[in-house]
Amino acid sequence: MGADPVAGVTPEGSRITVAIVDDHPVVIEGIRSWLATESRLAVVATGEDPDAVLGAGQPAADVILLDLRLHGRMVIDKVAELSGAGRRVVVYSEHTDSDTILAVLDAGAVAFLAKHEGREHCVQTVLAAASDRPYVPPALAGAIVGDRRSGRPVLSDKEREALLLWFQSMSKASVARRMNISEHTVKQYVDRARIKYARAGRPAATKAALLARAIEDGLVRADEIGN
Amino acid sequence: MSTELAGHPAGAFATTVERGPRIAAVVIAFGWHVVINLPAMLAQWPDYRRPWVVGAGWLIFTVVGLIAAANLLYGTPAPAWPLIGVLLLVDVAVFASTPASALFDSANFGWATLGWFVVLLLWGRRIPALVAVLAVGAAIALVAVLFVRGGDPADLSRYAMYVYGTATLPVAMMIAVNLLGALAGSTARAAAARTAIETERAAAGRVHRARRDRLAALDRTAGAILVELAEGRADPADPVVQRRCALEASRLRRLIAESDDVPDPLLHELRACVDVVERNGVPVDFVAVGTLPALPVEIRRQLAEPLTTTLAAATRWARLTVVGQPEEVVVSLTTAGTSAMAPEPASGVGDTIGRPGGDPSGGRIEYVYEENEELVWVQTRWRA
Repeated sequence: MGADPVAGVTPEGSRITVAIVDDHPVVIEGIRSWLATESRLAVVATGEDPDAVLGAGQPAADVILLDLRLHGRMVIDKVAELSGAGRRVVVYSEHTDSDTILAVLDAGAVAFLAKHEGREHCVQTVLAAASDRPYVPPALAGAIVGDRRSGRPVLSDKEREALLLWFQSMSKASVARRMNISEHTVKQYVDRARIKYARAGRPAATKAALLARAIEDGLVRADEIGN
Repeated sequence: MSTELAGHPAGAFATTVERGPRIAAVVIAFGWHVVINLPAMLAQWPDYRRPWVVGAGWLIFTVVGLIAAANLLYGTPAPAWPLIGVLLLVDVAVFASTPASALFDSANFGWATLGWFVVLLLWGRRIPALVAVLAVGAAIALVAVLFVRGGDPADLSRYAMYVYGTATLPVAMMIAVNLLGALAGSTARAAAARTAIETERAAAGRVHRARRDRLAALDRTAGAILVELAEGRADPADPVVQRRCALEASRLRRLIAESDDVPDPLLHELRACVDVVERNGVPVDFVAVGTLPALPVEIRRQLAEPLTTTLAAATRWARLTVVGQPEEVVVSLTTAGTSAMAPEPASGVGDTIGRPGGDPSGGRIEYVYEENEELVWVQTRWRA
């Protein structure tokens, strides 16, 4: 399904390639136009069937934006399959209930994006995902804050408060003011909380990559991660 | 809610089940008193030692029986023990007026009928009370038999059979009635439990219908803007059109997100407020995560009220979130910074934080208000 029309502004090799899987062409076009505002991103494949879009013969995409509901079916199993194979999947959906979001994280998705969260969050999520870094849009923050499952990761008070306030206000500046810390620190708390979820659920190559990058970035220490 | 609703059917059911035996008991007592005692008394009339005492006794039995029946069927007051005392006195008087030849006859009606009338008066009480009264009746009869006819073994044996005959049927009836009452009670409790479940199901049904109605309404309003866009009558660049789209989208999102079958009261209150604000054309993002504990009305009010004032004043957009945990509930509202301000407790521009203090009854409510160029942020937090 065609290369990005703005290819050429930056050499293809240094750009982040993205595949979009959705059963509504209008949504694909909408996301394509969002991503087009960021010159580092190039949409290389789109379609409604993940196997066709990501199959042999298609350009390899660094990040896959996957609609969770394809032709009336929730494709969490597909998320697990792709994540297990090391593909960076960003799930986006209008199904924003906590159970669904947490199931998507467990399956190994790099991030979850609510469809209504808009261009800025979408671009930021894809950029972060490409480098195996966490990005926590508000809907995902809400799901983590509301997580009451028995085996859930243990968050520190600061991490939980930062997530909660970020979920509520969607403004890191406001969270920073409220907590009397810098915006950078707010992001660190939120990201650390997200990284703790990379340890939960079944192992996936994408989770290992998130953890490895978090240690490399100094976001968490190896001894904090445990086994 | 369910127990309150369930209380009435349980009581009503038990009363209905009990009414049949009550009527039966009244019919037996009066049937005996009128069909058997009355002709026997009239036939014996000339031979009574004091006929008018026996006649008055029959009338007193009738009156006491009517009082007991009215109490049983209509709940009018009836002092059971004094009336039983009256019956026993009549019993003694009738014995004293009956000739020796008619002692074991229906003409001596007090002895045979006492049990049935006492059953009416002692309805619903324990069996030993009835047995005690019947024992007193049997003692009176024994004294009379010994006094009038002497200690003849044949008379004593007739006496024993008569006591047995007059006591067993009323006692059996009382036992049956008490068992039936207990059965009715447990059946009523089962019925009440069923009612509670059905009430819950009805509430879920109402929620479902309300949701369906809202979806139908959304179908019309969202459909209208989509048609206008498709036909080119609405311009996507027009801020008014964008606003309408945002509003319909937020309504749709909320409908999809709602998953509660029986709505939590706090969410219900907040949702009602959101509906009002949306009707004014302000899109509201309303997200609830976690599970809310049951909160007292006062706590719910303190959680919701500070936000609803600000929410009602929102002019461009609003985001309302609820995070519930067993030991903490946090409600937050953010709106555009330029929207109309809630007067309390802010003063001037800049960050303002207010805390109205704790609540002694059910945990602490913390209140935070913050306002800057970017947003107005109100947060209430309850901690157990």
